Amino acid sequence: MEQQDPGTTFDDGMDSFVEKFQSQPYRGGFHESQWEEEFEKIPLFMKNSPSEIDPLENPDLACLQSIIFDEERSPEDQARTYKDEGNDYFKEKDYKKAVISYTEGLKKKCTDPDLNAILYTNRAAAQYYLGNFRSSLNDVMAARKLRPCHLKAIIRGASCHLELKNYVEAVNWCDEGLQIDATEKKLLDLRAKADKLKRTEQRDIRKAKLKEKKKQDQNEALLQAIKARNIRLVAEAAGEDEDSASEGLSELVLYGLSSENPCGARLSVDDQGRLSWPVLFLYPEYAQSDLVSAFHEDSRFIDHLMVMFGETPSWDLEQKYCPDNLEVYFEDEDREELYCVPPSSTLLQVLQHPRYFVKALTPTFLVCVGSSGFCRNYLRGKKVHQGQAFPASWLGRSCCLLELQPLGSDRRALAGLHFALLLLSSVPCL
Amino acid sequence: MGEDAGDRGSSADGLAPVGLPMAETSPKAEAAKLLPFLALGERADLQAAAAQHVLALSGSGPGRTLLAGQAALLQALVELAVAPPPAPARDAARALVNLAADPGLHKPLLAAEPRLPVRLLGCALDPHWPWAEEAAAVLANLSREPVPCAALTEALAATEPGESGLERLVRALCTPGYNARAPLHYLGPVLSNLSQRPATRAFLLDRNRCVVQRLLTLTQYPDSSVRRGGVVGTLRNCCFEHRHHEWLLGPEVDILPFLLLPLAGPEDFSEEEMERLPIDLQYLPPDKQREPDADIRKMLIETIMLLTATAPGRKQVRDQGAYLILRELHSWEPEPDVRVTCEKLIQVLIGDEPERGLENLLEVQVPEEIERQLQQQDHQEREQCEREQQELELGPGPQAEKAAST
Repeated sequence: MEQQDPGTTFDDGMDSFVEKFQSQPYRGGFHESQWEEEFEKIPLFMKNSPSEIDPLENPDLACLQSIIFDEERSPEDQARTYKDEGNDYFKEKDYKKAVISYTEGLKKKCTDPDLNAILYTNRAAAQYYLGNFRSSLNDVMAARKLRPCHLKAIIRGASCHLELKNYVEAVNWCDEGLQIDATEKKLLDLRAKADKLKRTEQRDIRKAKLKEKKKQDQNEALLQAIKARNIRLVAEAAGEDEDSASEGLSELVLYGLSSENPCGARLSVDDQGRLSWPVLFLYPEYAQSDLVSAFHEDSRFIDHLMVMFGETPSWDLEQKYCPDNLEVYFEDEDREELYCVPPSSTLLQVLQHPRYFVKALTPTFLVCVGSSGFCRNYLRGKKVHQGQAFPASWLGRSCCLLELQPLGSDRRALAGLHFALLLLSSVPCL
Repeated sequence: MGEDAGDRGSSADGLAPVGLPMAETSPKAEAAKLLPFLALGERADLQAAAAQHVLALSGSGPGRTLLAGQAALLQALVELAVAPPPAPARDAARALVNLAADPGLHKPLLAAEPRLPVRLLGCALDPHWPWAEEAAAVLANLSREPVPCAALTEALAATEPGESGLERLVRALCTPGYNARAPLHYLGPVLSNLSQRPATRAFLLDRNRCVVQRLLTLTQYPDSSVRRGGVVGTLRNCCFEHRHHEWLLGPEVDILPFLLLPLAGPEDFSEEEMERLPIDLQYLPPDKQREPDADIRKMLIETIMLLTATAPGRKQVRDQGAYLILRELHSWEPEPDVRVTCEKLIQVLIGDEPERGLENLLEVQVPEEIERQLQQQDHQEREQCEREQQELELGPGPQAEKAAST
């Protein structure tokens, strides 16, 4: 605008100003082609503010910014500005930036406790929506230190406790808030929710406890059943010191009872109180094995062998593994002796053998074809018992083995036993 | 009076004022002699002795009648009951408990000190007052009768800034450690008596507040049958409000589990049965005890019975598995009248509104013994039902417990 004489009125000045443009073009306007962009650059008409303000690009904006964030303003004013900035970011759901703004506001350490309480509470809200419930809770507690009755802080705190599954605390905070405003709907809803979740959680704990107890009782019953049958058990980890062996044994056994071996089989008891064991059959000749997941203790070996070798297995290259040819042994590892198991015996009879030790709750047996060369070699290096405890009816079959004497170490036999040991140690997960 | 004084040791001798002839033996005159020593500002030891004397008097019927006739003495007693230490406030309060236990004495008590309810209320709700329990016990005795109950309600209605008296009473009852020196169990019966009045029930059942919900967990409060009884009595009175049944049985309050929990024992239900029960009743530990007090058990059953008054209420109670709990309770229940109440409720639950699952229960679960009994008592029950119907129409009744001085 041109300078005016004090004497002239506004209207006079205005008329002459307007008339001027009848002859002269106006220079300060937008360019016709890009007026929209230039329009956007004027702070008043900006739709989106740039995240970074470049003083060269937007001198007006930079100017405004420096006015708002002028360090010379009081800490309260600055804090208030940061609070407003944070609130704007919050409305745009830019919670990360909101947190930063509120933090800046708190850094000013202004002396207005209400303002600081609001900054803490608002930052807590932003943290809440970011999922940082612990940080949110800390902020809310800081806010309450300044203003104990700040209802928004209490509501936020109760919500945080709810998310953190501290249901008792959530209910307590709600009750504190309800003392200040007994009809605050959000608190009533939060309280009802937290109470219900707390009671559900308590039910779940009771359920788990009962399940655990049932399991323990079952395991205890199984242990008793094993003891009653005089079956000897051995812990997996041999070589640990002998003293702990006995006390550790029942725990290890119980642990073994609760875990399953990799094939999912475990010791079980049926309605008549009869046990069924997972039983491992090893075939050292071909380094193969079979797992019978539930070998009923009253069933006979021959019954299972008939099923397992109904068809000759694929690894049986010489097609000689037929139920009639098979011989079953178990090993007494301590004395490194083998015992022959008559196929007509039941599992229980064998398990009760004084030299049978069940390792890792999985009885293991070696199977080979009696008349084969492998078998003769295999047995040569070992002392083989024909098992006095077993019924005498089978005695005739294996008398050929009685002639075998230990002739010194046979590499193949040793390899077979080594393989058997490896298998045994890989089976359960003690 | 002489014997009582003798029981109290040599205090009687100390009481006889010097110079007065001991020949005056009329009990009234003797009682009147106590008066000067009860005055505030007297020597603490004399006050204490006089208060003990009055307490002893209040222990007997004639003694109470005697005291009731002495308005000035009653006034002095009240003053002492609310006075700070070293005054013998506790004994004075206990004497008032005994006096208030007799409904016939309420009139002279209130005549002697009309502001008695207000003043005792202040003590009972004061978090720092050491004899708050005794003050509450007096109020519990007083509020059994309609006139003092009305006076107490008025006293509570006088709103303090921010929190009404009734709100404060509920808070004092529900907040553990509200008063570090007094357990405040007797606020339970106080609330129960107050809940005879519709205004109190309206406050307790206010849907915009959280009041009745805070009382629910107290049905399991282990340390005091007085408190438990008071809370259960309150809930029972509230359940006379038929309009609120749906809300009470719904998720916002969920009253039924809290009524069933004290009645439930360590039953081993099947998985399928367990899932039908409310969450709070599932998988209860093997050491779960039932409510030991038979009167409270009966009140709980009566409360549930009230909730079955309407058809939707009946449905909700059935759906939430109440029958299972009551069935087990019936086979355990040693008290005959509680068992009868239980039977009646079971009859309502398995009554003639047939439901698919329920028909099976009728065939299988109800033991023959019960069936025979029910048929026998059919006639009796009809009469009793009529009587109960009348009671229901008249409205809720007062707390059946009497607070007595220890």
